[in-house]
Amino acid sequence: MSQWHTVAHVAVEPLPEDWRASLAERLGQRPRRIGPWAELALYGARLCLDAAGEPTLPAGTQLRIASRLAPMAAARAIAEQARVGLPMPFAFMQSQPSQMLAALSQHLAWQGDARFSLCRDPHAALQLAQQDGHMTGSLLVGWVEEDRRTEWWRLVAQA
Amino acid sequence: MNPVYLAGRGLASALGPDLASAMVALGQGGVQPGRFEVAGGWAWPYYAIADDEPDWMARTRRIAQRVAAESGALAGPRTGPLFLSSSSLDMGGLEDHSIFDGSDPNFPEAVAGWLGWRGPVFAISTACTSGLNAVLSARSLIRQGHTDHALVLGLELRNRVTVGGFGGMQLLSATRSLPFGQARAGLVLGEAVAALHLSSQPSRWRIAGGANVVDGQDPAGSVPSAVVAMCRQALADSGLAPQDIALIKPQAAGSLNGDAVEAQALREVFAPLPALVSLKAAIGHTLGAAGAAELALLTACLESKVWPRVDYVQDAALHAPLAEQAPRQARHVMASILGFGGGHTAVVLEDLAV
Repeated sequence: MSQWHTVAHVAVEPLPEDWRASLAERLGQRPRRIGPWAELALYGARLCLDAAGEPTLPAGTQLRIASRLAPMAAARAIAEQARVGLPMPFAFMQSQPSQMLAALSQHLAWQGDARFSLCRDPHAALQLAQQDGHMTGSLLVGWVEEDRRTEWWRLVAQA
Repeated sequence: MNPVYLAGRGLASALGPDLASAMVALGQGGVQPGRFEVAGGWAWPYYAIADDEPDWMARTRRIAQRVAAESGALAGPRTGPLFLSSSSLDMGGLEDHSIFDGSDPNFPEAVAGWLGWRGPVFAISTACTSGLNAVLSARSLIRQGHTDHALVLGLELRNRVTVGGFGGMQLLSATRSLPFGQARAGLVLGEAVAALHLSSQPSRWRIAGGANVVDGQDPAGSVPSAVVAMCRQALADSGLAPQDIALIKPQAAGSLNGDAVEAQALREVFAPLPALVSLKAAIGHTLGAAGAAELALLTACLESKVWPRVDYVQDAALHAPLAEQAPRQARHVMASILGFGGGHTAVVLEDLAV
């Protein structure tokens, strides 16, 4: 089993009122077409990479994100839209957790192995990420709860 | 590293409640999709599981229990990890009761409870690639000796959010599923519950390797360079060269642009292309369950030599014809799924009976 070194760790809870403005300023643009949950993931991931001194996610790094609830606001919106007619395309896409992976790939200028899981236990999710990451030895791991918390770890395997 | 095998499998789909009935139905030419109607009178072709139980949760429970039992996983210790792969989880159940606060966070644990499963539970949610990603995570745990068995349960069952969502994006065909077909005009969705019982104990099918590549350049479609990277990484992970692959089951969802991008990328990696097979005209695109469902169906087809009929004109411009019959021998097989969110995932199987 790999021993992991924590290069950076950020946990943000409660969220500052201006977190979306801070993210837009850091990216140089407001993220388009993604919902608040995916935006919060991007906010935390960006903070963590900045803390690690990494402008982009290094090639070969594996990305693992987990959550207990995933994008709740979009899920509520899409269910209501589907009850009365055809859902709106952007709302439907925002209800899909995988859109968060696409947003991270875009904004972190990275193509690679990314996975999202719903899980009740952050410790179990972190363990699974580390076991998935044993081949590359480089991980960015996040736990994101909408409107509440974003926590990220930048991990590399010890030589 | 421990080798990882497919010890057992189960599948409920439009073809039937189990794999034996699916092989019979497929041998007789397959089944036609029904219709799924959503609000506003919109309706599309849809491959439903034949089960009239009106209560979504009761129906899901019964099907999941039957499919997991078919895989043989319930005869063992049930202490390894359970990976649920789904795009919509319990959305159909929430719609039954008009509860729209999002999925019940305890739904994956409820499924585990139905199966008497005592190991840790993860719900992999990477849209269409969920099933294959679940297989890759389960393989990782078994390879490293953290467990000697795991169950991947793909679960995608009727709900209007999914059908309406894809319909609203104008991604659905109004007629039928035509993977790599000249007249292809979009996806036809379907229901499936599939179980893959993975184990370190030797059996006929070895999970030789795989790869998962996310590229967000096109959040709703596939990216050529990512398809190429997926294939090359899966081959490298399996210790194989392109010419070692005797059969590919591509995504081949029947979308105009997606099929073209995929065929072109496959031709870039594999020259010449090995035999190709698509299962989506048989069971529809089963989204989060597709990876598990199509692996279960594919291995059953190869064992029984029952093959999905290609009864439509294929698109000659793709230069990627689907095989009309099972290859005589296929030791190494690649199965891939491409999906929403820029996901591109492949698994390579080795048939030890060849």
